[in-house]
Amino acid sequence: MLDIVVCFKWVVDEAFIRRTSSGDLDFSSVDYKISEYDRNAIEAAVRLREEYGGSVTAVIVGAPEAAKGVKDALSRGPDRAVFAEDPLFRDLDPSQTASVLGQVISSKTPFHLIICGEGSGDVYSQQTGPRLAEFLGIPCAAYVQRLTVKEEKVMADRKVEGFIEVDILPLPALVTVLPDIATPRIPGVKDTLMASKKAVIKVGKNELTAVPPPLLKTQSLKAARVERECEKFTAEAEGIKRFVAALQKRGVLK
Amino acid sequence: MNFQLTEEQELIRKNIREFAAKHVEPIAAEVDENERHPVELFKKLAEGGWMGIPIPTQYGGSGSDYLTNAIVVEEISRSCSSTGFTVSIQVGIVCMLILLLGNEEQKKKYLVPLAKGEHMGAFVLTEPGAGTDVMAATTTAAKDGDFYVLNGTKTFISNGPLADTYIVFCWTDKAAGRKGMSSFIIPKGTPGLIPGEHFHKMGLRSSQTSEVVFKDCRVHKDNLLGKEGLGLTNAMTGFDHGRVGIAAQSVGILQAALDESIRYSKERVQMGSPIARHQAIAWMIADMATDLEAARFLTYHAAWLKDQGKPFSKEASMAKLFASEKAMHHTTKAVHIHGGYGYIKGAKVERLMRDAKITEIYEGTSEAQRMVISGNVLR
Repeated sequence: MLDIVVCFKWVVDEAFIRRTSSGDLDFSSVDYKISEYDRNAIEAAVRLREEYGGSVTAVIVGAPEAAKGVKDALSRGPDRAVFAEDPLFRDLDPSQTASVLGQVISSKTPFHLIICGEGSGDVYSQQTGPRLAEFLGIPCAAYVQRLTVKEEKVMADRKVEGFIEVDILPLPALVTVLPDIATPRIPGVKDTLMASKKAVIKVGKNELTAVPPPLLKTQSLKAARVERECEKFTAEAEGIKRFVAALQKRGVLK
Repeated sequence: MNFQLTEEQELIRKNIREFAAKHVEPIAAEVDENERHPVELFKKLAEGGWMGIPIPTQYGGSGSDYLTNAIVVEEISRSCSSTGFTVSIQVGIVCMLILLLGNEEQKKKYLVPLAKGEHMGAFVLTEPGAGTDVMAATTTAAKDGDFYVLNGTKTFISNGPLADTYIVFCWTDKAAGRKGMSSFIIPKGTPGLIPGEHFHKMGLRSSQTSEVVFKDCRVHKDNLLGKEGLGLTNAMTGFDHGRVGIAAQSVGILQAALDESIRYSKERVQMGSPIARHQAIAWMIADMATDLEAARFLTYHAAWLKDQGKPFSKEASMAKLFASEKAMHHTTKAVHIHGGYGYIKGAKVERLMRDAKITEIYEGTSEAQRMVISGNVLR
């Protein structure tokens, strides 16, 4: 039996972000979604439960509008959710998120294994998982693409540059996972309807001992701009010659 | 007034959009080209509970509502309107009629496998000489003790070649006029029920359409769906529900036409700038986007009325009329925006334009919708 906590973030769906003429980002009509890697993390947690038995608790720190995200997460198979909810939790930096997650998890949900996505779909700082492990004082493995659990230990295949490293961690432990860990399911109609009937434990800011001040402050957000020359080349001999010449001119080919 | 979908409806829309992008869009051109009913896709749709959305769970459905079903038909049709339509007719007409009119035994026997997507259903009304003029039908069911014996030919029957369950309308007492038609549930394999070969169509090509012939087809009175003599009313009930589905299908086609037109017009450069910056094209897209919104609101409103238990016949006709005519109009514009590229097989807009035409014809032509609407407002 394996009690798993899976953490997820409710992030802006980048498809809805618009760029204004001044280069600012316009978030006025954005929709939100579960951060991509976190969907894979949820799927991995649910599959581990199917294999080893136990439970999956989905944990989120977010603003009240993330309630939809809680339903979305629950429709993907977890048994229950813990929602640390406060308008101030809309823009936490990774150290703050890790602190809130740590306080919530240690007080509300016993666990053997915590799974986090490798990085969030919005800022992708890749810090929250390791910081959470540090907060809880448990071992941590990042970049994990395969998980096996055996005798109070978890074996984690880590995809690091050029090779796979296999770590064995004593439980309780935390892993951050890559998308390869599991392809997320598409919830069926009943999964979505059933999600509303699952238990959600809400934790307010006043139930936490403290939320530390941020270590990072976002000064501004600007759209990245790629200047394109829009030069077109045909697949005929003349076009290919021009293409090669253009690459040489720009130093791509020598 | 609240224009907000529920969180569940929004999530379901996202999920079916993802499903359609992953499983429907990649095969849409192929099933159109080969006139193939994608069995493997319908198995996946059944697994996700997409084939019985508004049907209560005790009858094999997902226990959601009609608006959610409209959203799902729209999103599937955005990728492949043949598939969207097949879901629509199965759920919107066949399942709904059995749910509304069937007795408990019929619901257990026929509705459960239909709503689970294990069976396919067909609505068998149209005849070679009876389209909009339903009263001109000639198929009869002659009473013989506890049985009826059906004879006649039906045509343009969607799912005709592959249905497991047929809902059939025919005269049990022609002399009784509007009170003389009855509806029956007839399972495939019943002797004398002869499905025909798939017709080759202009569009909607993966939806299987055929004649269905009845030759001394003997069915027990237990197969009557609803009361004897109420067939015509039952057919109209089916149409009311079905038309919301066709409206949703048309909205899906319109959305796809807009998606394709926006994408292409931003890429295509003529006279030094993307054609989207040319006012002639930009205005076509503005009109397309506006009509899409209007069609969607009409459709969702009709579905919402149904969910509220209010009359929705007029609104279903309005939604179907408006959405289908706008789908036809704007898919033509979408092909125009694509120029020569839009006229080539394989361009999505070419398929959309062919698929759009039928939405103005089946489940009541645009003229039939105007008859329903004018009949309502001139009362």
